[in-house]
Amino acid sequence: MTDPIVADNLVKVYNGKIRAVDGVSFSVKEGELFGFLGPNGAGKTTTVQMLTANLRPTGGQGRTAGLDVSEKPGEVKRRIGLVFQESTADGDLTGRENLQLQAALYSVPTAEARQRIDSLLARMQISDSADRPVKTYSGGMRRRLELAVGIVHSPKILFLDEPTLGLDPQGRAGFWRYIQELRKELGLTVFLTTHYLDEADNLCDRLAIIDHGKIVATGTPSQLKDNLGGDVVTVRVKDPGRDLSELFRGVPGVLSVQVQEGDYRAKCKNGETIVPLLVETASRSGVTVTGISLKRPSLDEVFLEYTGREFREEEGPNATDMAVRIGQVRRGMGRG
Amino acid sequence: MTTPIAALTRRELLRLARNPAAIFTSLLIPILYLTLFGQGFSKLAGGGGLVLPPGYFLSSPNFYSNFAIGMVGFVAVTGTLFTGANVIFDKLFGIFKRIAASPASSAEVFGSRVLAGSVQPTLLAFFVLGLAILLGHLGIPSLSGLDITQSVTALGVVEMVAAVLLLSAMFAGLFVAFGFALTQPQSYFAAVNTINLPVLFTSNALYPWGSMPTWLQDVASYNPVSLAVNVMRENFFGTNYYAYPPYIYLAGLAAWTVGMFLVATLIAARTLAPKA
Repeated sequence: MTDPIVADNLVKVYNGKIRAVDGVSFSVKEGELFGFLGPNGAGKTTTVQMLTANLRPTGGQGRTAGLDVSEKPGEVKRRIGLVFQESTADGDLTGRENLQLQAALYSVPTAEARQRIDSLLARMQISDSADRPVKTYSGGMRRRLELAVGIVHSPKILFLDEPTLGLDPQGRAGFWRYIQELRKELGLTVFLTTHYLDEADNLCDRLAIIDHGKIVATGTPSQLKDNLGGDVVTVRVKDPGRDLSELFRGVPGVLSVQVQEGDYRAKCKNGETIVPLLVETASRSGVTVTGISLKRPSLDEVFLEYTGREFREEEGPNATDMAVRIGQVRRGMGRG
Repeated sequence: MTTPIAALTRRELLRLARNPAAIFTSLLIPILYLTLFGQGFSKLAGGGGLVLPPGYFLSSPNFYSNFAIGMVGFVAVTGTLFTGANVIFDKLFGIFKRIAASPASSAEVFGSRVLAGSVQPTLLAFFVLGLAILLGHLGIPSLSGLDITQSVTALGVVEMVAAVLLLSAMFAGLFVAFGFALTQPQSYFAAVNTINLPVLFTSNALYPWGSMPTWLQDVASYNPVSLAVNVMRENFFGTNYYAYPPYIYLAGLAAWTVGMFLVATLIAARTLAPKA
């Protein structure tokens, strides 16, 4: 069976010179939550725009819901849900009216739409505010409404483009609780773009890391981190007057040991089982351990490994991003 | 099932209904024209015993009656000015993005805007008509009003409603297309005024026919606003001095509307298609 989302060497060139997406290939399996992680301007939104049939690829092929996005844009749009990074609800209409409009745009029968809207409003905990204009909603309520709007027509594939941008940690946690519930209940395939590393790490079944329009790594969060070579246990000892590196290297499971500013950094698999062994080794040698820490490789380190630079979560738009946005505004759609 | 076009039209009308300031302003302007501007000219041009050649106002009995029907055409056009601006505001606030990402066709998105954009000016046009008739029946000697000089047939009513609807829809379509094509309100209003004022000033909506130079009469004969007001004036005042019966002017106006729609739908389809 064809995977619900397939990108095959997708390319997007703006104004004949800016390669916003440069030969991106991946596929998302049914029921999977696939994360697309990258800094601002990396090409995440452009990829989403192509896979949701809102932007024509310059090259390559995108297939969503088994359909070519260039050949059947209308059908693709009908079969997917899309939650944008910014609010797209009409502030002058109520939450319920926004949902009714969306249901009608997707030709959902009226009775079914009514039932579904009531159920979604209750699930998103906005039933009490359903008949108030959206302009009176809080940021978190607006995000929950956006999610409800994105799924009111019961799609099987949901694209989330930086859905928690600007939400506080509590709001983000709440939003993700709804997503996880919906996934379980509806068997949704979810494509998520984000530049929140923790979000990608904790939620996604698999990830692709994109930088400068190219995918630099793909895998499960654990795989990506394991590829770095394992955990790092840092041992701080009372000055022993001698080097303990060789002793620590002899501990089963330790891959390498480095001395950094007097601390011993032991790279190893399954760090939590190595910690007591290192403490025991030091004690047996009559050395007092004054501190110990275990650090699992983070996606930040994964990003550093593959791109050679640190991931900057709150960086501003880069030059490419700005050029792309200016081009989009000039063309009249303002797609970000 | 609510169709996309019905839902989008409902949205536009709900937004309008929830904006009393906009409704008040749209009513205030024609009220000022009818109670002040038009009154100021009424004695100078045929309303106060001034002898003018026959046909100076074509079949209209006096300046004010001629002007009042012209105002119906005027508001049918100016009432559509904001239709495209609303598209631009939707783009700026992100709402347009959601609509464009939906499976609704460009024809549905465009059609709903035009439908909703035609309703307000059509209602406004008939408000102007009612107010002008009312002013004539208040019995205040120094206050001019619309004098209807012949009984209006049912067909005449249909022709007049069609004329106002076609005129509103034509300009709503054009301005909505501008809204699709442009991104900034400033550029939109500049573009709209480039069209709006020349169209109104080259029509016979506000001037007496006899006061217009020949070249302007020639231009006005083909102007869609003139065609619409001709349909109404012939039904209210008779067909004397007009070259054609009302249905011919109506057909001319329909041709204008169809042509304008073709151009406007092309622009809309271009904007709503996936970006290349």
